[in-house]
Order: sequence, then structure tokens, then C-alpha cells
Amino acid sequence: MSLKSRRRRAGIVLSIPAVLLVVALLGVPIGQAVYYSMTQWNGITATWIGPSAYVAVFKDPIFWRVLENNGLLLLAVPFAIGIPLLIAALLNEHVRGWRFFRSVYFLPTAISWVVIGMFALRFFSATGVLNELLSHVGFGSSATDLLAGESSALAALAITFIFSMVGTNTIIFLTGMATLDPTLIEAAKVDGLNRWQIFHRVTLPLLTRFVQFSFVITVISAFSALFSLIFVMTGGGPGFGTTTLEFFVYQTGFQQVQFGTGALYGIILFVIMAVVGLVQLRLIRADDSEGW
Amino acid sequence: MATAPATSPGSTDPGGLAGGPAAGPRLGFIRLRKKSYAWALFCLMVVVAVIMLYPFWYMLDNAFRSAGQFDRQAGHSLAGWRELFANLPVASQMLNSTLVCAAAIAIILAVSTTAGFAFAKLRYRGSGIVFLLVVSALMVPLQSIIIPEYVNLAKFNLTSSYAGAVLVYAALGTPFATFLMATYYRGISDDLIEAAVMDGLGYERTFLRIAIPLSLPAIATVTVLQFIQIWDDLLVGLLFLPTSQRTITVGLATLSAGRTTSIPALMAGSLISAVPAIIVYLIFQRHLIKGLTLGMGK
Repeated sequence: MSLKSRRRRAGIVLSIPAVLLVVALLGVPIGQAVYYSMTQWNGITATWIGPSAYVAVFKDPIFWRVLENNGLLLLAVPFAIGIPLLIAALLNEHVRGWRFFRSVYFLPTAISWVVIGMFALRFFSATGVLNELLSHVGFGSSATDLLAGESSALAALAITFIFSMVGTNTIIFLTGMATLDPTLIEAAKVDGLNRWQIFHRVTLPLLTRFVQFSFVITVISAFSALFSLIFVMTGGGPGFGTTTLEFFVYQTGFQQVQFGTGALYGIILFVIMAVVGLVQLRLIRADDSEGW
Repeated sequence: MATAPATSPGSTDPGGLAGGPAAGPRLGFIRLRKKSYAWALFCLMVVVAVIMLYPFWYMLDNAFRSAGQFDRQAGHSLAGWRELFANLPVASQMLNSTLVCAAAIAIILAVSTTAGFAFAKLRYRGSGIVFLLVVSALMVPLQSIIIPEYVNLAKFNLTSSYAGAVLVYAALGTPFATFLMATYYRGISDDLIEAAVMDGLGYERTFLRIAIPLSLPAIATVTVLQFIQIWDDLLVGLLFLPTSQRTITVGLATLSAGRTTSIPALMAGSLISAVPAIIVYLIFQRHLIKGLTLGMGK
């Protein structure tokens, strides 16, 4: 056997296990999910409905209520990006001790969102830390459990989400800032720009790629990584106040045992994520052509 | 800090004020400005640190209380810990977490190093597309496939043991791990690999004896990243593990959802479940950071 065909054979053999694992456990189920989504199925008996299953869901006000929650959570994204950007800029000044602080800021990245949710549950409760803080500054009479109201619970979830993203996004921006050419900053200084102007006009434009990356990561997390927080903090409630699409899949499929409708919600989530992913790909391509 | 001269770290001149040597009498003022600027930044960093660490302090403070002590926010005891251990099989769930992590990571490493090596160094016709196929699975949200996944695993009787959850964790971790390993192997020279093959090692042994030892840093990154992800996960463990084999994170979340356990006990559980991940983070944070930022495709 020639060296070339031996190499080819080795390449195929070595890549087979990964391909099998991914296809069997991530690829095939997508096809199945599409099929399930067009059936009415409780795990035992399946009835084919066809694409009209989607029409029924699109007419369901609860579905739109859930999707609205997803939309509202997007309002947290600018904060989940902006705050880490400022923290990264702060660390990037390299004031004494910055390495220590960097480790401290990233620490929550290692912690389960179950644990963070567990703290948040206490933080936002009527007798919790937040209300105690508020009463110290003169809002004592308004001690309410934020997780008891529909919109305030969603706000509490969003704030917890922002906190949980700080570590990851700060790492991304700090890595980005480390790639910047220091002579550009020096040149801006010579030109008499102040710190804010340098950050705003020099640093930020050069970080575009990293901001885009963190945007995609943050949106993906907002739509598909909040399960732990919702499960621990609110269980989706009150009402459907904090039920997002991903949690709706769990509720519909595993609590109400409607496999068909649950799979349908999953497919809609998949389509939304795919669109976000394609946008990211386009952005990366555009950057490549600019010689980044 | 207060005694540091103007050359203290981060003392880059703010607005280009020290433009020339003629700045003479203003120099003291500039030094003062620099020093106070560094101080202001330092204080700001402390404030951020307090916010980031506050949840841990809160857990630590309240884990060592009884329910009554928690309500009064006074006094400390081990009551919370006793309640935790009475209601949650902490030791066996920590062991479950460890076993599930170890098995899943072993599979991820086995398939991602081989596939990464193949995609980087043993390219065949269509290997680029296969690589894209594997990596694009990163975009599949678990929730989208979780119902058919459950049906499939139950059909093969894999939800009555660790096996189902381990396989799902392995599949979820493989796309990114393969991407990372392929990226790493691309940095190894082709000549080195070819030379080893010419020496009669063959591709399989070249992989084992040359490529694997060279890629230990990337392997460490994958291990740490996956350990934290799997240890911290709730959804997969909740749905695919039998009750007796739950991981600590799943056990804690379900204990909390029961709404009957006191807060000190839950805080104690939170702390103990977080300890392994914190230790791994503190030892390997360099690898973790590298893994998180490698996704940027550079």
C-alpha cells in the first residue's frame, strides 16, 4: 500500500469515533425531533398531525408569551457585554494587583449556575440581601419578593444572568485588549486624546471582532443556558413569567409529557440558534477578508 | 502603594500632559494626578471584587447557622451541615459526579485527539467537510434534541445507569474539543510527522508516541474545560441519571426545588458542591482561560 493511501486510511479510521458519537447523539436526534414535532405524542401513542402542528402552536398565546420572555431577556445582553468591557478596561490599566483581581473576577465562571441561582434566590427574596440594602437607603417599606412578581422575576433572572456572564466576557475582552498594538495607544496619547477618547475611538473599534464573538456567546447563553437558573430560582413562574423557550421544552416534554409539542418548541429554538450562528459565520468571514 | 513613585504600574500619562521637558513646575501635580488615578482604579477594582465574591461570603456565613440563627442573622453552628448530610447523600453524589466526569472526559479525549489529529495531519478527500460537520454540532442546543435523545437512550436502557448521561456529555463536549485539538495539531510541523512515519512508526504509533505527548497542553485545556462544564451541569444529569446515581449538582438543585430544606443546609450544599470546581479553577485557570478564548478562531 502506498504511503498516501495508508495516510488516507489512517485519517478515516481515526476520525470515525468522533463522527459516530456526534452523528448518533447530536445529528440523528435533530431529524427525529423534526418528525416528533409533527406528531401528537405522549410517549406511548403517536398520531401524525403534519406541519399543521406548527400552525396550532403559532396560534397559542402562551407560546408567544414565552417567546416574549426570550425577547425581553435580550435586553440584558448589552449589560452582559458592556459591564465586562468596562471591567476588562479597568484590569487592562495594569494597576498593581491586577492579576489577583483578574483571578477573583473569573472565579464565578467555575461555579455552577445552580449554585449562583441558589444565592440569587436568597438575594432577591423579601427578607433577602437586596431588600435589606434598599431599606438602608430609605426604601424600607417596599420590601417585596422580586421573584413573586412576573416582570420583577424576569428582571431578577436577567440580573443574575448578567452576573453569571461577567467572568466569561471579561476574559474575552481582556484577551482582545492584549492583542492590541500598544504603539497605537501611544500615538493617540501623543495626539492629546484623553483616556475616555482613547477607549472610545481607538480601543473599542479594534475590539469589534471580540465584541461580536461575546455577543454571539451571550445571546446563545441567554437562549439555551438559563435552564439551571430558572429551575432553581423560579421554576418558570410565577405563571409563565420566567418561562423561556428552552424551559418550555422541559416543561412541555417532561412535566406534561407532551413529547410532540416539546420537540416542536425545541425545533423553533434550534432555528433561532442557527440564525444566530449563521450571522456569526458571516461576521467572521467579513473579518477574514479584511485581513484580520 | 502610597509610597510608590510616579513609575508605579499602570502610570501611563493620562492626557499627554507631560508633553515636554518644559513641564517643570507642573511635574509634581502630574505625579499626584497619576498616583490618585492609580488609587481610584485600585479602589474600583476592590469594589468589583467585593461584588464578585459576595455570593461566596454569603454562603460561607450562612452555611454555618441553624434555621433560627439564619432568621436572626446571629450566631453560628453546624446545624445546617447536619441537616444537609441528613437530607442529601453528599459523599455518594460527589463520587457520582467524579465518575461521570471522568468517564465522559475519557471518551471526549479519546475521540477528539484522534479526530483532531486526522483532520489536521491525515487529510483525506472530504475530511474538511467532515470536520465542519463535527464542529457545527456545537450550534445544536441540547434542548432542541433532548426529547428524542431521552427516547433513544431509554430504548437502549441507558437511562438506568451512568451510561446515558456519560454518552450525552461526551457527545456535547466532542465538537469543541475536536476543534481545539485540530487547531493545536495544525501547529505541529508536517515534516516531524512524516519523518516519524518514514522511520517505520506507522500513523497509529506516530499519533500515540509523537502527537499525544506534544499536545499535552491542549489535552489539559480540554480536560479542565469539560470538567467544569460537566460538574456544573444540571439538565443532562437531571433527565438521564437514575435518582440513586445523581451528581451533586443535580442533587442540590432537586433538594432546593423541594422547598423544604432550610437555607443554611442549602448554602452548605452549594459550598461543598462548588469546592472541586473552585480547586480545579485555581490550579488550572490558565488552561481554562485559554480554552474559553480559543473559540475566537485565532
